[in-house]
Amino acid sequence: MGLEQLLPAIAGMTWQHLVMIGVGVLLIYLAIARKYEPTLLLPMGFGAILVNIPLSSALTQIDPSTGEAVEGVLNVFFQAGIATEIFPLLIFIAIGAMIDFSPLFRNPSLLLFGAAAQFGIFLTMLFASMLGYDLREAASIGIIGAADGPTSIVVASRFAPSLLGPISVAAYSYMALVPIIQPPVIRMLTSKKERLIRMSNTSNKQISKKALIMFPIVVTIVAGIIAPSSLSLIGFLMFGNLVRECGVLNKLSLSAQNELASLVTLLLGITIASTMTADRFIRVDTLIIIALGLFAFVFDTFGGVIFAKFLNLFRKEGYKLNPMIGACGISAFPMSARVIHQMGQKEDPFNYLLMPAISANVGGQIGSVVAGGIILTLVPFFA
Amino acid sequence: MMTPIFEKALLIAAIGMTGIFLFMAVFYLLILLLDRLMPYREEKPDEENIVEFETEEDEEEK
Repeated sequence: MGLEQLLPAIAGMTWQHLVMIGVGVLLIYLAIARKYEPTLLLPMGFGAILVNIPLSSALTQIDPSTGEAVEGVLNVFFQAGIATEIFPLLIFIAIGAMIDFSPLFRNPSLLLFGAAAQFGIFLTMLFASMLGYDLREAASIGIIGAADGPTSIVVASRFAPSLLGPISVAAYSYMALVPIIQPPVIRMLTSKKERLIRMSNTSNKQISKKALIMFPIVVTIVAGIIAPSSLSLIGFLMFGNLVRECGVLNKLSLSAQNELASLVTLLLGITIASTMTADRFIRVDTLIIIALGLFAFVFDTFGGVIFAKFLNLFRKEGYKLNPMIGACGISAFPMSARVIHQMGQKEDPFNYLLMPAISANVGGQIGSVVAGGIILTLVPFFA
Repeated sequence: MMTPIFEKALLIAAIGMTGIFLFMAVFYLLILLLDRLMPYREEKPDEENIVEFETEEDEEEK
């Protein structure tokens, strides 16, 4: 009996498999040593190793001895959790349970930054279509700019399942890199004088519990009437938020924020890795998608900052917005708000931008889900 | 450069960005409305959530 029969995995190993195992190790390193989105990147990295060992029983494989397909657990998870969108939607319940909308009630006008900072999504979609991707693929690549992992997964799994692996890796990696990506873009677009603007007119008023309870219900009804196909995204987010705010489901709210979020994140990460097989991942497309993901994040920041500067044209002195706040319109919460607050303090240690930054950042969380819903609605009409 | 796919993508981008702003504007108005209809009032804490602790003084009284 030869070595090939004894250790068939070695016989089937190609350089592509080795590269993918290296990618898996790199993701695990980034998760542990650099703390880049460890909850997602670590399971994805480990999963990438798991699916790139030839004849891995984690994937559905043809058994060479019998010629029959052997169902692998990761394929079962994929079909049950990603293809049906159950995992990302469960994550939305958890995220909804974590979001406090009261900062938005204090500064509702900052909600608009949640719209402006989705600019990168559409610009990237245009760019991807110029590079030869079809409309569904281009939209899936553009949605990386939502800076919102579950939204990216929902859109990509529906429109371009073959690109799900690189899109998820790009989305989560860049979310972790917000502190590195945003500051240079903001500095390039703003003057020192603009970065020193204080937003002292932000309110600290108390918000009624009833209003906070009604908000997710009303938003769901309105969003459902305007764009029914966005309801799965917005509805699950708002359901999680209602569980949080209602005051009678504290145990469920805590479970959603902790156990549900942890369990589904664990399964989501390792299941997405099932798409990171060498034949799907080692392609020029992957590099292009990763580059376009960065492009999307940069132009999200651009959109938010430029919109703030535009609004300042119409505002009186003393009521001007610090344009850095615009960059918080992306969904990476609370990282983006923290980055902007720290940038503000670096310029002026007595400039406290945290509250308005949080408000814009919460707006970004809604904006990214709305963007996902709009793309899910529009693309099938045109594709 | 203006392929049919690019033209469609351009149209989606235009409608999409407008749509997001419209959605957010509607949510903005909803927030203003809810805030006006349901202003904050001092809310009594839920009695079930009040946990009574025995202080040393209570024990001394006993």
